[in-house]
Amino acid sequence: MIWKRQIPILIVTIVGLLTLFGWFIDEPTVESFVNDDATQWYDILASFAIFLGALNLMKMQINKIIKKKPGWIYSIIAILGFIFAITAGFFIKGVEGVEWGAHVTTDGTLFKWMFDFVFTPLSATMFSLLAFFVASAAYRSFRIRNFEASLLLVSGIIIMIGRVPVGGIISSWFVMYILVLALGIGLNIRFKNKMITLAVVGGGILAVTTAGMLSGWPLDQPSIFYLPVLQDWIYFYPNVAGTRAIMIGIGLGIFATSIRYILGIEKSYIGE
Amino acid sequence: MKTITDLILKMGKTDRRWIFLIIALVTLLPLFFPIGLPIRATEQTRVVYEAIEQLPPNSKVLLSVEYSPATKPENHPMTISVMRHLFRNKHKVYITCLWPDGQFMAQDVINMVAVDEFNLTYGEDYVFLGFRPGNEAVIKGIVSNIRKLYTVDVYQTLVDEIPMMDGINKFTDFDFLFSSSSGFPGTIEWVQYAADPTGVPMSSGVTSIQVNEVMPYVQSGQMKGVLAGMPGAAEYEALIGIKGDATSGMDAQSIAHIVIVLFIFLGNAAFFIERKRSKKY
Repeated sequence: MIWKRQIPILIVTIVGLLTLFGWFIDEPTVESFVNDDATQWYDILASFAIFLGALNLMKMQINKIIKKKPGWIYSIIAILGFIFAITAGFFIKGVEGVEWGAHVTTDGTLFKWMFDFVFTPLSATMFSLLAFFVASAAYRSFRIRNFEASLLLVSGIIIMIGRVPVGGIISSWFVMYILVLALGIGLNIRFKNKMITLAVVGGGILAVTTAGMLSGWPLDQPSIFYLPVLQDWIYFYPNVAGTRAIMIGIGLGIFATSIRYILGIEKSYIGE
Repeated sequence: MKTITDLILKMGKTDRRWIFLIIALVTLLPLFFPIGLPIRATEQTRVVYEAIEQLPPNSKVLLSVEYSPATKPENHPMTISVMRHLFRNKHKVYITCLWPDGQFMAQDVINMVAVDEFNLTYGEDYVFLGFRPGNEAVIKGIVSNIRKLYTVDVYQTLVDEIPMMDGINKFTDFDFLFSSSSGFPGTIEWVQYAADPTGVPMSSGVTSIQVNEVMPYVQSGQMKGVLAGMPGAAEYEALIGIKGDATSGMDAQSIAHIVIVLFIFLGNAAFFIERKRSKKY
């Protein structure tokens, strides 16, 4: 029991404390351990983890085939792919005169062939599907149901159009006309009075047209209505504020979890 | 009026396969028949360009490649353009990868730019150190002692025998870092474990989906600008004056975005009509 419980907890506590205090203690041995040795150990452990991961993958897939679980036919493809990758990586280079290791990225080798003609098209296809699902999902679920959803929708549209070159050729004056019309629709829904709507829309159009004629209709002025500038602002201020809040939350969570590991309270890594 | 609303309602219930087909068409057609929309560099792209432009000749630049073929259309053009810019300004480039797939992507860029375009000498103008497993630990290893982490390069040459590696022992021996990233480990880890603690300036090129994650580091000054997705890559191509895949992809992306926005409008119009009718009856 001591080897399965107390010793692992002790290792985690000692290494955790050393790594944590390594940032604060000005002592060359501790600093060298944290910056140098600990990372080397991690590299060695990560290499072993790759072996463990591969063995685990095989165990799961073979198990699935033996028990004929749903989708077992795909497990055969996974195992064949694994064997092929191992063979191309460790046993058959496919080209003479290339060093083992260098063969991985050398043109003409079996491994490079596998990467170029199997892995690349497969992963590109998987990622490309995203475009279709995004379009379909946007069409079906991006609805103006409440204020928050409207805010998200408007920001999303500004980002989508302002980020691409077509956003750069949409004049800020055109955006202002759209805003005047949107204001008119909003007022009409709110007051249901045609005179107020007509006055606001007519006045707005007149004001925008006069301002445009006086300034010579510059494409990107006033910049607050120019989509590329607007999307930059959204990225740089509201987005950063939200992302920072999330990051601070995650940081505090990591800190709390780390302390739990160091103090031996969190023991999920030993299966408890 | 009823005919129009009925039509909108009918379109609102369109089978999603039609949407897939329309998206495929609007993406493919501009690739075959380019429109040539003008590309205007945003402030963040200009900052990246200026940061590299202002490096003194023969600067030692670490270029880290961490993306896979899945995000190749976004990351690859920016890696190519940045490498072109670095070699044009006579800098020494050291290439590492935090992702195993990154090694293939980096090799492709090296073949295209360093070998075919600039005809440079390996070991004197650029060196390809390759991939090491360990995520953040690799970055920490590069920061403290790169020689312990990389004893040989990708081609199994001893690092001690590579002329360019003379005087390169740790991260602070580099003058600049550019990370071309599409996730973890990548740009954020480079900021947290390397650039910020050591003060070595860095820039990055990321996928569009990652931009909001890295923006706090750009705003705080921990990163010198960012190339944001394929538009960022196209803007960089415009700045260095060599058009590439990103520029040709921007027409397709522009039209696809407009079509998605139109879909959203149409979906909302159908939603409002339906809601109004259900209230009425």
